Amino acid sequence: MAFATYLAKRLGFMAVTLFLVTLITFGLTNILPGNVALLILGPNANDASIAALEAQLGLDQPLYIQYLDWLIALVQGDMGTSLRYGGPVVDLIAVRLPRSLMLAVSATVVSVTLSIPLGVIAAVKKNTVADLTASMLAFIGLSLPIFLWGLVFIYVFALSLGGFPTRGYVSPFEDPVAAFHHLVLPASAMGVALTAYIMRMTRSSMIDELSEDYIEFARSKGLGERAVVLRHALKNAAIPVITVIAFQFSYAFGGVVVLEEVFSWPGIGRLTLTAIENRDIPLLQGCIIVIALIYMISNFLADTFYAYVDPRIRYGGSE
Amino acid sequence: MSTSTWLTTEQKAHYGRFLRQFRRNQKAVIGLGIVVSLFVIAIVTYFAPEIVPYDPSATDVPNREAAPSLQHPMGTDDLGRDVFSRVVLGTQISLYVGFVSISAAMIMGTTIGVVAGYYQGLIDESLMRLMDAMMSFPPILLALTIVAVMEPSLNNVIIALAFVYTPFIARVARSAALSVRNESYIEAAVARGESDTYIIFREVLPNCVGPLLVQGSINIAFTMLLEASLSFLGLGVQPPRPSWGLMINSGWAYMGDAPWIVLFPAAAIATAVIGFNLLGDGLRDVLDPKGEIIE
Repeated sequence: MAFATYLAKRLGFMAVTLFLVTLITFGLTNILPGNVALLILGPNANDASIAALEAQLGLDQPLYIQYLDWLIALVQGDMGTSLRYGGPVVDLIAVRLPRSLMLAVSATVVSVTLSIPLGVIAAVKKNTVADLTASMLAFIGLSLPIFLWGLVFIYVFALSLGGFPTRGYVSPFEDPVAAFHHLVLPASAMGVALTAYIMRMTRSSMIDELSEDYIEFARSKGLGERAVVLRHALKNAAIPVITVIAFQFSYAFGGVVVLEEVFSWPGIGRLTLTAIENRDIPLLQGCIIVIALIYMISNFLADTFYAYVDPRIRYGGSE
Repeated sequence: MSTSTWLTTEQKAHYGRFLRQFRRNQKAVIGLGIVVSLFVIAIVTYFAPEIVPYDPSATDVPNREAAPSLQHPMGTDDLGRDVFSRVVLGTQISLYVGFVSISAAMIMGTTIGVVAGYYQGLIDESLMRLMDAMMSFPPILLALTIVAVMEPSLNNVIIALAFVYTPFIARVARSAALSVRNESYIEAAVARGESDTYIIFREVLPNCVGPLLVQGSINIAFTMLLEASLSFLGLGVQPPRPSWGLMINSGWAYMGDAPWIVLFPAAAIATAVIGFNLLGDGLRDVLDPKGEIIE
């Protein structure tokens, strides 16, 4: 299958999936108990004013009409008005989303910086104490929930050693130094939690590459071991690793929902939790759609990149 | 192929080989050891809850935030409750959530995956697109939305986690079913005029067991992590049940003065997750050398 055909097929799938995502989001959030009109008007509202507001909001319409109205507005970039904050949902998300992206990107950077050298060392020194230690640390990293890494980092670096704030966010445009200070702990906590996967992937694909003939050839040419490992093996081992990094970014982005709560980071994750607490249906719908969209796009890019560099994937059926 | 017993001679030989390789795999053996120990703790404390030294919800305010000692090997929490008793009893909840939700996900996911892989065509396409859509939400987001719309409780956490992990199981079941779909023994069964139900249950399903076992075991580790996260956010198991995530949630504020309130339940989560991950990893080495499992 040519790459263009593959890409077209995948984009088609994604459109269908996206449609189903809106359906699931709308369906789920409409199970949420609580009368929206009553929430807006307060507990003292009378039946007539509730009925009037319901008619105005279109809540007296059948559910599928409500869904279509919501979908049409959504496509035009209108996610409705937040019940809790009063303003347009789009504006609320637009302020918070970049903060979450900043956190997820920084976490990915931290984990790449940690995991690739660790993975290379573990592969080169395969089955030694260094390899075993690195693999074991990675395994422990994999086995703690992200929020717990957050708590560990707060305990060690903020409460015991001091020097870093335990919570909060500062805009990098207002005070870059303070902003960096606030970013270090949450980004490192998530970065460490993500390290395990990338490290294991680096290790196994480096081991594969190091057993190839061309490595033997490079060595027999008299090339130093350092050059063999870094210039030849790592370059070829990078392909699956890059895919994993892209997947990890989407994983990190999913993790912000919990981590933002730990560090009081005012991003889209905390906004989602606020929406749930306040039964703010339009806000919750907006948050879910935006998070799912970003999650989907980064997974899609990872898949597509992998298929681009490794044509065998494209022949592997419809997945 | 014999139809009178479940296992043919060939299959028996296959399982014998599996057992030998399993015993030789250190990860699998250690993982199984941890998992079995946790099970023993959960079952014993379920039938004999008085075995733990203190009532898990008995408060002792004058003695709150007491450091680990001989009386309280893991200290006491912010209300003076014995952390050790709560951690031990918390094993029940974690295993219960993990097992029930993954069993439900296995039943739903295997049905969907095998049907999709066996019938192919439009059924396959529509089922798998639905699974894709469910996997387009970060697991934690889907789980907490489902729990939030239904009211947080132990059962709703299980329902949410079962839905979240169904697509992962379905994908594995589908690819396993696809891989045997064109084998000659399936064609032979069709030619004999066997019913679809017979072929699915007797020919297709037994060939999906290996990959599903690996995926299920890894997913139990994930459900334990997710349950802890949900309980931590207050959207999971509700007090006074001693869930590990919930204990961390309530102990978090006291971390500066009494870190043991958080430390021991955290260690319990890590142990359980490491156990299931090791078991899953070991099973994969033995059963799935090609690596078709999704992490």
